[in-house]
Amino acid sequence: MIQREEAPAVSALPRRRGRAIVITSGKGGVGKTTTTANTGAALAATGATVVLVDADVGLRNLDIVMGLEARVRHHVLDVLEGKATLEEALVTDKRVPALRLLAAAQTREKDDVDTAAFRDLVGSLRERFDYVLIDCPAGIEKGFANAIAGADEAIIVCTPEVSAVRDADRVVGLLGDERSVKLIVNRLRPALVRRGKMLSVDDVNAILRLPLLGVITDAPDVIVSTNRGEPVALDAASSVGASYREIAQRIVGTLSGPPTVPHEKSFFDKLFGSRK
Amino acid sequence: MSARRIVLTSGKGGVGKTTTTANLGAVLAKRGHRVALVDADIGLRNLDLVLGVEKRIVFDLVEVVEGRCQLRQALIKDKRLENLSILPAAQTRDKTAISELQMAKVVQELGELCDFVLIDCPAGIEHGFRNAIAGASEAIVVTTPEVSAIRDADRVIGKLHERGLPVRLIVNRLRPEMVRAGDMLSVEDVTDILSAELLGIIPEDEEVIDTTNKGEPIVLQPDSRLAVIYDKIARRLEGDLVPFTTLRAPGFFGRLFGKAS
Repeated sequence: MIQREEAPAVSALPRRRGRAIVITSGKGGVGKTTTTANTGAALAATGATVVLVDADVGLRNLDIVMGLEARVRHHVLDVLEGKATLEEALVTDKRVPALRLLAAAQTREKDDVDTAAFRDLVGSLRERFDYVLIDCPAGIEKGFANAIAGADEAIIVCTPEVSAVRDADRVVGLLGDERSVKLIVNRLRPALVRRGKMLSVDDVNAILRLPLLGVITDAPDVIVSTNRGEPVALDAASSVGASYREIAQRIVGTLSGPPTVPHEKSFFDKLFGSRK
Repeated sequence: MSARRIVLTSGKGGVGKTTTTANLGAVLAKRGHRVALVDADIGLRNLDLVLGVEKRIVFDLVEVVEGRCQLRQALIKDKRLENLSILPAAQTRDKTAISELQMAKVVQELGELCDFVLIDCPAGIEHGFRNAIAGASEAIVVTTPEVSAIRDADRVIGKLHERGLPVRLIVNRLRPEMVRAGDMLSVEDVTDILSAELLGIIPEDEEVIDTTNKGEPIVLQPDSRLAVIYDKIARRLEGDLVPFTTLRAPGFFGRLFGKAS
């Protein structure tokens, strides 16, 4: 079962305390890792210091999506077991120096991670970085309990599918009332929504009822950028990248108001119109 | 003859395990086999939704294990295919509610009632994964042509081999036009990396989203091209040598005016 997080001791009032945000979903394959990488890159591009923590011990992928897999030398468990210092384990991003990655162990199990120790690790990262983004594994087992332990904010990533919405709803319940929880609707296809073949953002949020942080449309360039290890958020020409940059601004607080929900371009727009 | 007990797994979530379980189960049932589907994703069940039986659940897998009901009472018979039934997972419990041994016993017992038991594994490689593979005699690994999915599949195939389970591979959600443009890994790229025999190639089809939301497996749609593809997978499972057809990407005019083959 998921342990409720205890209230932090007053004596722990920080000199400087970054925000710890877990990116979670319940259902796998909805885009948690892609969202973590892109939101992190976009946050770092605003000038904030950001560390991305891969909590998917045994099935790590954040390093691949960041294109940093060849630079990973140590991982979370090395740090927790004293085999490496935090500094040694942090991998600096190739493009944005304010962005770091703490990789998961690939050949270990989630049960090897002590939840309290992981929470403490996130706590010490919060003293060094403005933002700690934790990429949660799929499911609601031990890996989930570890990933949410140190976070006081959560971003739910959900695709417009009945199964994803059901899983997300269950996760919102498990996150409890102590955390601020916001929603990103991912992989929306406005054309399908208009034809009544896909749930709309409103349909999704009629069930989840969460503050909307952003809407990301389904675009082939995300698959391409993920395979190449180049976050699309850093591509100034990409409209999906722009959506991630808006999400970052909303997290920082420099952008308010509800996110725009993309609508479908007409057939002729697509054929002859400008790329937006 | 004891039943074939096949776990469908992937490591990574969202690659199509549940959709594949539902559709493959439906096709096997259509071909005359008695099929039972088991949802092993305790706490995050979805197989019931994909098959449209969510309102008919009375008992679940955990209640069977705990002896609160008979296995036959928990099985939901599909209304469209009389040979197909579903054992749903519990939604308000977690994966540690049952042990590997208990799961293996349920799957064994199911095997006495039918020809094929298909087990829908949860994402990940934790307790839920170990439970799902516990009663299986063979495995199908579902993957998509993405680097992260393949890395996870590779890790899972290693774990399945450790258990001595024969492993076959389904490459799901292939977009031939992206492969042709060099923007997506090809089936050959995938099978080069993964040491498992290829069982099927399923193209991306946006109709799947809609049929999944509606609880109607796409293989039951009268004009679905995926029905033909799943039928071939079922025949390969039966032991037939069915050649793989190359998935051709329709050209620009094909996309505008024609139908994808």
